[in-house]
Amino acid sequence: MLKILTGFAACCRAFDLRVSTSEVLDTARHLALVDPLDPREFKLAVRANFAKSRRDQSRFDYLFDLFFHGIRTDSDDALSPGIDRITQGLRKTLSDDPMEQALVDFLDNDPLAFIDQIHALHTMEERPQKIFKSNMGQLSSKLGVMLQINSIKSKIMALLDQGDHGEPDNAGALREHFRERLDRAFALATEEPREHNDALKEKPRATNEKNQLKDKPFSNLTPLEVIEMRAVIERLVKKLKDQVGRRFAVKNRGVIDIKKTLRNSGKFQGVPLNIAFKNKPPRKSSIVALCDVSGSVWSGARFMLTLLYSLQECFARVKSFVFVADLVDITGLFQDLDINDAIEKALGDDTINRNAPTDYGNSFQQFKHDHMNVLNQKTTLIILGDGRSNYLNPQATILGEMREHCRRIIWLTPEQINTWTTGDSEIASYKTHCHEVRTCMNLNHLTEFIEELVL
Amino acid sequence: MDFQSVDDVQKRLEQADYIASKEIATVVYIALATEKPILIEGPAGVGKTELAKAVATCLERRVIRLQCYEGLDESKALYEWEYAKQLLYTQMVKERINTVIDDAASLSEAVDKIASQEDAFFSDRFIQPRPLLQAILSPDPVVLLIDEVDKSDPEFEAFLLELLSDFQVTIPEIGTRKPVTIPVVFLTSNNYRDMSDALKRRCIHLYIDYPSPEREMEIVRLKLPMIEEGLLQQMIQAITRIRELEIKKKPCISESIDWARALLALNTKQLTCETVEETLNVVLKYHQDTKVAKQTLAGIVG
Repeated sequence: MLKILTGFAACCRAFDLRVSTSEVLDTARHLALVDPLDPREFKLAVRANFAKSRRDQSRFDYLFDLFFHGIRTDSDDALSPGIDRITQGLRKTLSDDPMEQALVDFLDNDPLAFIDQIHALHTMEERPQKIFKSNMGQLSSKLGVMLQINSIKSKIMALLDQGDHGEPDNAGALREHFRERLDRAFALATEEPREHNDALKEKPRATNEKNQLKDKPFSNLTPLEVIEMRAVIERLVKKLKDQVGRRFAVKNRGVIDIKKTLRNSGKFQGVPLNIAFKNKPPRKSSIVALCDVSGSVWSGARFMLTLLYSLQECFARVKSFVFVADLVDITGLFQDLDINDAIEKALGDDTINRNAPTDYGNSFQQFKHDHMNVLNQKTTLIILGDGRSNYLNPQATILGEMREHCRRIIWLTPEQINTWTTGDSEIASYKTHCHEVRTCMNLNHLTEFIEELVL
Repeated sequence: MDFQSVDDVQKRLEQADYIASKEIATVVYIALATEKPILIEGPAGVGKTELAKAVATCLERRVIRLQCYEGLDESKALYEWEYAKQLLYTQMVKERINTVIDDAASLSEAVDKIASQEDAFFSDRFIQPRPLLQAILSPDPVVLLIDEVDKSDPEFEAFLLELLSDFQVTIPEIGTRKPVTIPVVFLTSNNYRDMSDALKRRCIHLYIDYPSPEREMEIVRLKLPMIEEGLLQQMIQAITRIRELEIKKKPCISESIDWARALLALNTKQLTCETVEETLNVVLKYHQDTKVAKQTLAGIVG
């Protein structure tokens, strides 16, 4: 029993489900309390210990099925000498390729190495590509695995044909056994589990076509209207600042916190010089904004940045990045220049090549390598973009890693919900890692969002 | 008084007016038997907090509840020194200080003598236990409910770690407080943010989803025994359909019960489009949601 459990734990770890030794110990203790032969109770006890959040549950279920129903088919005893003989035969012909060896181990009831490699494939990072971009990295390695599976299949068939198998009907059963195992390996290589994300808030917004400035999509604004918009935003900022100011003013008002005041007075021989109040101002959050500024969405980015930076004092810290194919840190611009100038410079300048095709995967990867340290448990990550990655590898697993480093991820998209799954949009794969996905295509949506963020 | 088996848990929770699925009962049973905290996740209003209360009723224990929020710190959750009391005591014993240092030959000896007395001011007498410390110091075992732990700050999680793994609290000035009794601990989370791995490792996990229609019917029947079977069935079907809509806040179990109560009060025998429209505001809490639901009234009634 313990052997199965540790095997399963190793298998979970290979798939990035963190299971600690203490959790395996707990599971063993818990299994002694329930009836381990009842499959339902067994699974419940293991799951309560191995999958510690709703997000992990889908991965756990996938692995559980795989491990207890998929991989470990306890074959007939009559077949096992035949299986041993063939895997032995296969081992002789092996090359040094680790994947091939893992595959044979997989056939020999030791799936760990294979699962490990497959998971590495699923979460593989695309190597930075400069001139020609493609998302073939992951696909071609998967193709390699499929070819290897096929070559092993033919080798097995050859081995089956030449050897003598004792009784004649064993040959058919053996063939069937290996075919089934290889099919499973094939399925493993091509499918990947996706996390539950029940707590995801989706806020698709309808637009009413009143043609007022506030309802007009950012992308349809004329240059004149952009200037007009600035005035509207200035008024809005003033209003928001007033509201926020009132919230933070509570600090020096209200009921006196006697205990704290006494504690502070200790420094001054019991004279209460520092008076503390019971009201605490809400904590300011820090913001990291990632904005797609390619042709399709850049107009939205400019207004969001204007708002974020105008309201800078409401946040502990604002960091911002823009990307098309590469990621550029533009925080510095806002420190030196006036907001509007900074935005013009960030968007209009040659800091970024706006003609390149948008590449979300690459931008995320750059963020991970160079700027992951700006995220901590108090940051809210705001990503503004349509998630249209020109069919390049979306590398959604990186977004998953980013989620582990920050407090919340909010994705703003300038599209309505019915286009989220069309064309090259990758919102569907990104949204499993987001806390909130919302439409933000005109000033009303943006205002609503910013209000929720600061109030 | 402890639970004997999974079935026993299920049966006794039902006596405490809580219908538990097999999954809930199993997790509760193994957690209690091995003294592990339970981290409960799930959408709002599926009875996460209720479960803790029901378990307390079954075990005849008191519930100590700690509601988490942003800005909750250890002085509100763990313990606090009673500064005012300490100050008063210093004032009162001021004169006595001479008797302590009277026979001291040198200044350093006097300081040593005072230092040997400082325990008097950092002792249990001046500590005010807050819910977490109360829970482990209580002479009768209790149920400790840490509600909405995801709303608290990341720093607060760190205070919980020692408590959850060893059921003890270390107070720097006086040392470690060992538990008098081991509490049953429930943590609930609405998934507003992800909890840290260290916290998750110390708990066992339970996810409570919206109940299946049959279980929900059982729950409503338990709370409102006089409801008619036909109406109940229609109502639960309608609720299930409403939950499938694209709305801001999905109705939870307590809203189904409220709805049933409203329908009973209106003396409804049969669910029709009109009755649904009239009572929809009991089920849906946002104007926008009500509008969405009204567009598909016929579909909801079925």
